[in-house]
Amino acid sequence: MRVSYQPLSFHVGARRKVTGGDVPVARELLGFLTTMLRAPSRIVTGFGCRLRALIAGVALAHAAVLAEAVPAGSAKEIVAEAVVTLDADRQRELVGSLADTDPEEAALWIGKWKEGEIYLFQDAEGNDVAVLLEGEPDSAEKYGIVSLASGKPVTAPDGTAARATKDELYLADTDSGLRKVMKGVTDRIALASPDLKKRLQAVQDTGLEQDPSKLVLLEQRLAVEEEGRVKKALAEAMAMIRLRAEDPVVRQTAVAELGEMGSIAAQGAIKTVRGEAEKAGQVSLVAACDKAQKDIESHISRVNTVGTLFRGLSLGSVLLVVAIGLAITFGLMGVINMAHGELIVVGAYTTYLIQNLFAAGIHMSPFGLKISIPGMNLSGGAWDCYFLVALPASFLMAAGVGLLLERGVIRFLYKRPLESLLATWGVSMVIQQLFRLVFGANNVQVESPAFLSGNWTVNDIVFGWNRVFVIAFAVLIVFLTWAVLNKTSLGLLIRAVMQNRGMAACMGVRTERVNMMTFAFGSGLAGLAGAFLSQIGNVGPNLGQNYIVDSFMTVVVGGVGNIMGTVISALGIGMADQSLQQILGNPVLGKILVLGAIILFLQWKPSGLFATRSRSLD
Amino acid sequence: MNTPLAGKAPTILLAAVALFLVVVMPSLNAAGVVSDFTLNTWGKYVCYAILAIAVDLLWGYTGLLSLGQALFFSLGGYMLGMHLMLMIGKLGAYKSDLPDFMVFLGLKELPDFWQPFYSFPFAVLMVLAVPGLLAGVFGYLAFRSRIKGVYFSILTQALTYGAALMFFRNDLMMGGNNGFTDFRTLLGADLRSPEIKRALYIASAITLMLVFIGCKWLTTSRFGLIQRAIRDSENRVLFSGYSAANFKLFVFVISAVIAGIGGALYVPQVGIINPSEMMTEKSLEAVVWVAVGGRGTLIGPVLGAIGVNYLKSWATTEYPDLWLIILGATFVIVVLFLPKGLVGVPAQIKAMIDRRKALKKDRADDLAAINPSPEAE
Amino acid sequence: MSMVHYLLAAEGLNKSFDGFKAINDLNFVLEKGELRTVIGPNGAGKTTFLDLITGRTKPDSGTLHFEETHDLLRMNEYEIYRLGIGRKFQTPTVYTDHTVRENLLLSLAGPRSIWHSLFGRIRKEQEERMDEILHTIKLTERAHSKAGSLAHGQKQWLEIGMLLAQDAKLLLVDEPAAGMTDEETHRTGELLLSLAGKHTIVVIEHDMTFVRQISQGRTVTVLHQGHVLCEGPVDKVQNDERVIEVYLGRKSKAA
Repeated sequence: MRVSYQPLSFHVGARRKVTGGDVPVARELLGFLTTMLRAPSRIVTGFGCRLRALIAGVALAHAAVLAEAVPAGSAKEIVAEAVVTLDADRQRELVGSLADTDPEEAALWIGKWKEGEIYLFQDAEGNDVAVLLEGEPDSAEKYGIVSLASGKPVTAPDGTAARATKDELYLADTDSGLRKVMKGVTDRIALASPDLKKRLQAVQDTGLEQDPSKLVLLEQRLAVEEEGRVKKALAEAMAMIRLRAEDPVVRQTAVAELGEMGSIAAQGAIKTVRGEAEKAGQVSLVAACDKAQKDIESHISRVNTVGTLFRGLSLGSVLLVVAIGLAITFGLMGVINMAHGELIVVGAYTTYLIQNLFAAGIHMSPFGLKISIPGMNLSGGAWDCYFLVALPASFLMAAGVGLLLERGVIRFLYKRPLESLLATWGVSMVIQQLFRLVFGANNVQVESPAFLSGNWTVNDIVFGWNRVFVIAFAVLIVFLTWAVLNKTSLGLLIRAVMQNRGMAACMGVRTERVNMMTFAFGSGLAGLAGAFLSQIGNVGPNLGQNYIVDSFMTVVVGGVGNIMGTVISALGIGMADQSLQQILGNPVLGKILVLGAIILFLQWKPSGLFATRSRSLD
Repeated sequence: MNTPLAGKAPTILLAAVALFLVVVMPSLNAAGVVSDFTLNTWGKYVCYAILAIAVDLLWGYTGLLSLGQALFFSLGGYMLGMHLMLMIGKLGAYKSDLPDFMVFLGLKELPDFWQPFYSFPFAVLMVLAVPGLLAGVFGYLAFRSRIKGVYFSILTQALTYGAALMFFRNDLMMGGNNGFTDFRTLLGADLRSPEIKRALYIASAITLMLVFIGCKWLTTSRFGLIQRAIRDSENRVLFSGYSAANFKLFVFVISAVIAGIGGALYVPQVGIINPSEMMTEKSLEAVVWVAVGGRGTLIGPVLGAIGVNYLKSWATTEYPDLWLIILGATFVIVVLFLPKGLVGVPAQIKAMIDRRKALKKDRADDLAAINPSPEAE
Repeated sequence: MSMVHYLLAAEGLNKSFDGFKAINDLNFVLEKGELRTVIGPNGAGKTTFLDLITGRTKPDSGTLHFEETHDLLRMNEYEIYRLGIGRKFQTPTVYTDHTVRENLLLSLAGPRSIWHSLFGRIRKEQEERMDEILHTIKLTERAHSKAGSLAHGQKQWLEIGMLLAQDAKLLLVDEPAAGMTDEETHRTGELLLSLAGKHTIVVIEHDMTFVRQISQGRTVTVLHQGHVLCEGPVDKVQNDERVIEVYLGRKSKAA
């Protein structure tokens, strides 16, 4: 008999097999295909299921007995029971009862059911049993089979442990009515989720559904909820559901409430209410909607303004971090280092290497050589620590490269700034190509430690942790620079040499050495910038090129030779860039305008914000 | 003159180069000795040589290192490109009167600013005017506020960067990322026929000669003296009563126009122009040609542009992975050890020999001074 | 009574750099045809004063007029130059890559336009003028050498020659004797004296022997902390107690 159904279940089998693959594109495509396939396959397999059950014998006594009462079993048992139940109402009842079981377990098994991981197996007596596949398939594509309820291997008619291919089994199906019940259960579970984020999300989702039947659920939750943010979200969700109330007065109150809350989520719903109210000629409700919409819009613009400022601050911080090394080498020493961008990339790749060393190791094949470095295979918190190692490593690595650059090229060109620009550009080309040969021309990805992902939302304003990190990092790096320049003897020497080289030399300062150290320090800061950029984007051989113009602009606008100027100009440019983006709604145009503005700004203050004015003494 | 080109030898060298570029190459092509492909490649080199002269006029003679000359070169190319795009007519992939990229962008009508480009003379005028005007406005702002040295370089870099970002955008209606390509005819002649390609080559070579002669005249006049004076001591120039800003502006505009002409000749020969041509790297590459050839001379940039690009054609096929390393390293070496470029090598060697001789003589004198002393005692 | 024509008049000039008062309420008047020497200790504001006159820096307050009608504060360097104010820098500033003659050619009085630089011709009298100046500054034989190859003293003379070529009404000469041998210094003094009368000259100098050589019977101005401390004939100034204290006295102590 089964043979005749093979083509029907083929869908399912094929679907499972490919889904097992790890190719993201394939997965997405499959996601689409599954939705396309789900409807027919459900009907078909559903039909097949019932038909088969009929043939196997409808008059199964114990099944009839079970239909009488809801068993007080665990979530797993109830699911196992529900899967094999033929009576649709009974099945829904069983699933509904899951709400009273352990929420996590219930969510887990409902999930597996919906995802198609539960199968039906016909045991020796011809009864259906809910089963799970176990282990890897053997050469005949057969899997081990365990009972869902007991977790024990299922015995085949011949007494051995049963094995089957996916095609020989039947997928436990769901229909739309059942899925609705499942959703009700999962919603209820989510609303009670101990995880704050999940709970919040569940509340918001429920609000957007605007299903009046859920109002009770939310009220119950509100009664026990302690967390302020969730309470607020509950109020918002309830108000949104009340927008669908019959009574226009209730609706009007809800509209007013949402307006006061500045509920962005409710914008569309209020628009719908307004449309209906207009048709029904409910003047006061229309007015209330208008007011609420206005309130919400002004709330949005406030959110946008603060968001823009925050993004501007973080962009400014990025600029600051990439430019501060240049503020040392260009600003203090007057060296035009076009390879500054590549020093940043040195830091970024160092971070990439360290990250891989903390994980699975790395394989490279530069110049036809095969280099494999084994990794430490760490994970979790220990792996997260890689960044703390990567920071000093990036600094040192870039400082080392900077040192070589200074000794090899730049020291011959201190009196010829234009030539140092050209020579360092040549060096930057060489380094870029070396990166390509060693790490490949494509970007590599550096994964951020867990503590850098996620965000923090206040009043609808999203503060991404990585942006907060950016700002904190900038503060740190400025402090570091300030401390080195003002609190160390190296800093004292640097300042002395930069102010009056000749005099410093006369006082016995080894200016050559100070130049070297200063340049290495500036380069090291570029390396730190690289470690930092690897956390907010991909790392590639051209990464440095994207920042070189911005860094030079930042230093020039800030006023050469003035770290404080660089700080202010970086933040200023960052803010201007983000605000223009917000106003023009176009990042490229904003950037072009900023460049134009900088050129005009230099008309007004040719030597930047803070000119270090010097005068030759008589 | 102070260039190493004093005397007759350079005149002969110059005449030889001119003869080779203008007469020998195209004749060999017509005779079938030099392939069409090779001639086309040399046509590119010649246009690069024009760009190199423009860079040198600014950098070598006036001390202004502009990182935006490739922008002016591309602008010249874009202006002629607009005309060429319109000349494609219905021959494009979409069989429309509009250039293909506009059809692709869903345009129904030609934008107004494209209309006049149906006229070839207008396009030629724009080839000169657009780079010249942009250089005029930017230069006026920059020189007025006394932006000089590396600041000028950095600002021109910013200008170039901004312009490239703009040209990458589709709504500028200049072809976006892909720029212009698929040109068919110029003045009714088929751009793909060998004869027209040869004619374009000859036109480029003659233009190069004219630019060369014009710049020679410019740099040997009193204007040239002032140019170099600005390069060496701008303060003194100001205190000699010259408005250095005006002179610099003039040179900047001239250089932009020359670069634009080079670009306009380049585009029909290579058949494509896109925003990557105007990036800073391209400008810097032109600076490399000048540095390698020898700045502050006019023959230097020409030889540098042809030489480096010849090397590039060879290296990018033989050692594609190493080309950038070769170019970068060459550049570092030239900057460090050959500040006057290849043209300056003979003079550098001579100076070295002179120094040796002087040193030897000094030693001999010293010895002579030491030796008699025991006898005196 | 009789009208006195001032060539240069400065009133109440002030200029400070990052809080340091380089010029402090400076009043200075120069008559036509004078050869005035300005002396003062380091940091007295001498060079800054020249920077103000030539438009290199602008004062914070005060007025500065040339030939009574021209407000120098509203002009830039080359406009001021075109009024006939020439300046020799403290360190010789000549075009090192140009020949001596080219240096003079660029300084010759005449139009300064781009057009003229391209199409203007060198007239016969200009050639003669250059020859004459070359003779005056004793560089006839080096006329076609690069200025960069000249000895230090010769560069100083060339720079003075460049001022002569421009037919400046007012020559501002900053430490002409710096770095020169005694012989060269003396000859420079003679050169300046021979120019006195024909031109109005302001000389800034440290070397007191040189000052005495060129300022016999002429007014010497002493600057101190950006302010005129005293003015008068060299002997009187040298005996002024304040001057001895701030300048000569300090010098003798140091010696």
